[in-house]
Amino acid sequence: MSKYSTTRTQRINDLKKLAKEPFLLISIIVIFYLLILFVIYPIFQVVKMSFFYDGKLSLKNYADVLKQSYYIRPLFNSIILGVLVATIATFIGFVFAYGVTRTPMKAKGLFRLIATFPIVSPPFVVALACILLFGRAGIFSGVLGNIYGLKGLTIVEVVAYAPMAFLTLIGVLQAIDPALEEAAMDCGASRIKVFTTILLPLATPGIVSAWLLVFIQSLADFGNPMILSGDFTVLSVQAYLQITGMFDLARGSTLAILLLIPTVVAFYLQKHILAKKSYVTVTGKPTSATIKNLEWYIKYPVYALCIFFAIVVIAFYGMVVWGSFQTIWGVDSTLTLKNYTTMWRVGKNYILDSLYLSAIVTPITGILSMFIAYLISRKQFFGKNAMEFSSMLTFAVPGTVVGIGYILAFNTPSFLMPVTLTGTSVIIMALLIFRRIPVGIRNGIAALEQIDPSIEEASIDLGADSSMTFRKITLPMITPAFFAGLVNCFVKSMTSISAIIFVVSGRWNFITVAILGFVDNSRYAQAAAMSLLLIAIVLIAMGVIKLITDRLGKGMQTILIE
Amino acid sequence: MKKVLLVLLAIFVLITPLVAQGAKEGPKYQTLKMYTALDTEEAQYYIEAFEKSTGIKVDYVRMSSGEVAARLEAEKSNPQVSIWYGGSNTDHINAMSKDLLLPYKPNIDFELDPAFHADDYSWNGFYTGAIGFVTNTNFLKQHNLEPPQSWDDLLNPVYRGQIEMAYPYTSGTGYTAWATIVQMKGMDKALDWWQEFDKNMHQYTASGTGCIARAGLGECAVGIAFSHDIVAKGINEGYPLVMSFPKDGTGYEVGGISLVKGAKQVTEAQIFVDWAYSVEAQNLFMKYSRLPVNPKATVAEGAIKLSDITLIDYDALAMGLAKNEYVEKWRDRIGK
Repeated sequence: MSKYSTTRTQRINDLKKLAKEPFLLISIIVIFYLLILFVIYPIFQVVKMSFFYDGKLSLKNYADVLKQSYYIRPLFNSIILGVLVATIATFIGFVFAYGVTRTPMKAKGLFRLIATFPIVSPPFVVALACILLFGRAGIFSGVLGNIYGLKGLTIVEVVAYAPMAFLTLIGVLQAIDPALEEAAMDCGASRIKVFTTILLPLATPGIVSAWLLVFIQSLADFGNPMILSGDFTVLSVQAYLQITGMFDLARGSTLAILLLIPTVVAFYLQKHILAKKSYVTVTGKPTSATIKNLEWYIKYPVYALCIFFAIVVIAFYGMVVWGSFQTIWGVDSTLTLKNYTTMWRVGKNYILDSLYLSAIVTPITGILSMFIAYLISRKQFFGKNAMEFSSMLTFAVPGTVVGIGYILAFNTPSFLMPVTLTGTSVIIMALLIFRRIPVGIRNGIAALEQIDPSIEEASIDLGADSSMTFRKITLPMITPAFFAGLVNCFVKSMTSISAIIFVVSGRWNFITVAILGFVDNSRYAQAAAMSLLLIAIVLIAMGVIKLITDRLGKGMQTILIE
Repeated sequence: MKKVLLVLLAIFVLITPLVAQGAKEGPKYQTLKMYTALDTEEAQYYIEAFEKSTGIKVDYVRMSSGEVAARLEAEKSNPQVSIWYGGSNTDHINAMSKDLLLPYKPNIDFELDPAFHADDYSWNGFYTGAIGFVTNTNFLKQHNLEPPQSWDDLLNPVYRGQIEMAYPYTSGTGYTAWATIVQMKGMDKALDWWQEFDKNMHQYTASGTGCIARAGLGECAVGIAFSHDIVAKGINEGYPLVMSFPKDGTGYEVGGISLVKGAKQVTEAQIFVDWAYSVEAQNLFMKYSRLPVNPKATVAEGAIKLSDITLIDYDALAMGLAKNEYVEKWRDRIGK
């Protein structure tokens, strides 16, 4: 029998199996519909918009954009910024990870906490802190010169995204047993030799992967450049301005596609590298052994950099706390609680909306992503690869592109969605859910791959149907990944801005948009107060979720890396 | 697994009508559907007062006024809203030229200036504001200067890297300032002038009001913005700022309110327009220092009247229709 007919018979068998489980079939159809509607269709709309001019298929938008320096420069600026930030952040992340895993550093827990703290705050809070510190009315005014531009942006994005590099690299370094290095040392290799021939080669895939992750984040970053870019225009902001300022959807979409290309390339490379040599897993037993007799010329520079970065993070966030108690930032420094009351009065609806929407989407995202992960890793059905691909798609796509896609797709009724979604809460919830499921699905698949499918097969052989098996066997085993997904979803939902800003409305708004509004009107003190409230909400929510998980008696790994 | 699907279905099916329809109010009036181009916080302030005063519920979505115009065009065959509240009249005029608006002569007890409404009342102006300069007083003291009194005063090298305003393509404020220069000087000279002026720019901001508090904080020395924003978001906030106007003339905007052609809640929309002109509603402008058009309304302290300053003969119609062309010319020359 040829290979072709084998797969064909298999497919027919799959279909037959599916037909026996109508519920499974319906679920698959519903999920496909949702993925097409909320993932594929919006992105397709952006691509389509960029290739149409005056209702005709044309490359004119690209020709227009590529011949104008003011459209081209943002593309180069974004890439320059991304390369700079990725390089510096990866370096800092690596040194930090090295310090925590390899040196006998004191207070490692504290350093870890400080180094990961920026992840739970909206990234643009760092830009706010930078103005408070180094702006013309700041504490260290003039120390860095003009912070509006490449310099300021690089600093804030490094602070915001080095934690991501750190979290990726600490996993990598933990998975490499220090015994290897010790053995090499015992055999007479020098420290440098060991580092360059053992640690570095083993860690390289992780380093490249961390670099690309940060590069993607920097390209997609919207909040920081919106606040700090000055004349250094970047693509994500330009695409946004083109649409909200001129309502020029065609060129806005074209800029969005230009932003999408380097991101997708970076994402593809990252996947490719990870697939080849995956050290970024949490499966290996982390070793806590450190190298005891580390030379001073390695130890002290590492310590110095770790302490320096920790001080920077503390200074940035400390500044936000300090700033939130000032009467008018830079003008009247009488301490006051007024900002908190004003912030609450003006922003109450924004805060409650965000809480409400995030609280609803978090469990939905968790359940949906686990369910999709289950389908992908356990079931055979036609279009499985398409489902996997489309559900992971939003992971690589910058928020700006998704936001523009949602405007284009849901501004008017279409054959896929008979009512206009713009201005409703549904569009925001859908955006949040489908932006966040990729991480949940990835964690879910990873968890499921550690469970032997024969356990589930046994259950089915004993007469349970898919539903029963999923509930009684699979679900309990993937609970830790499920809760990690919940934390990730809630944190990222509450702190997201780049896509959300396109779909908020008078009726449904978002806390991050309110903070950006405060910053835009230079109400730094109120912006600081609201940022702190947001961070507090996120921390409390993480605590609550952790409490629930601990009660269930399951270990939880907080996987926050995007 | 059934629960999973149930939750999914429940969310996507139940919530859609719930939020899309809004709560039904009393039997007498329908819920008025609205697009507004005012800032969310401000719009909410007026709309809550309207709801309280009339008992009519308003369902509104906030967008930039250019976006409203584009949306109305897209929904021409099936209008989703009945009224468009706020936003520069240039955009309302643009929509009028595309036959998207429904004329309505407001039922008011005073004469509305002909510059403040369309000939057939397709759009009506309900507040005004002029482009002005906002300057940091500490900076003036330091350099022993008077606040700028003309557009050319802004070319003074003392202001190098010290002026901020919005991009003409991201904000109605920025565009009005640019259109003012174009009307005063003609396109070619306007471009030359701006190229010179650009040397003194610190940065352009996305929003029209961003430069005000930044001038107050000393992040820049001079901002260019609408007078009502300067007063509400700068001077009244307590920043060390002073407002001045170019003696050689300045442009202004008229805030428009329009009924949408094909409106489903015509009665409610008409009630809203009449309310927007009432003394009660126009007095609310005090909080945001907009200039009311109702002569009986109280003018906010510190706000100037249009009659106190030199206005150019601002052709909102031409400026509205030529917006794309003018913006492209600006971007081609300035390169930003």
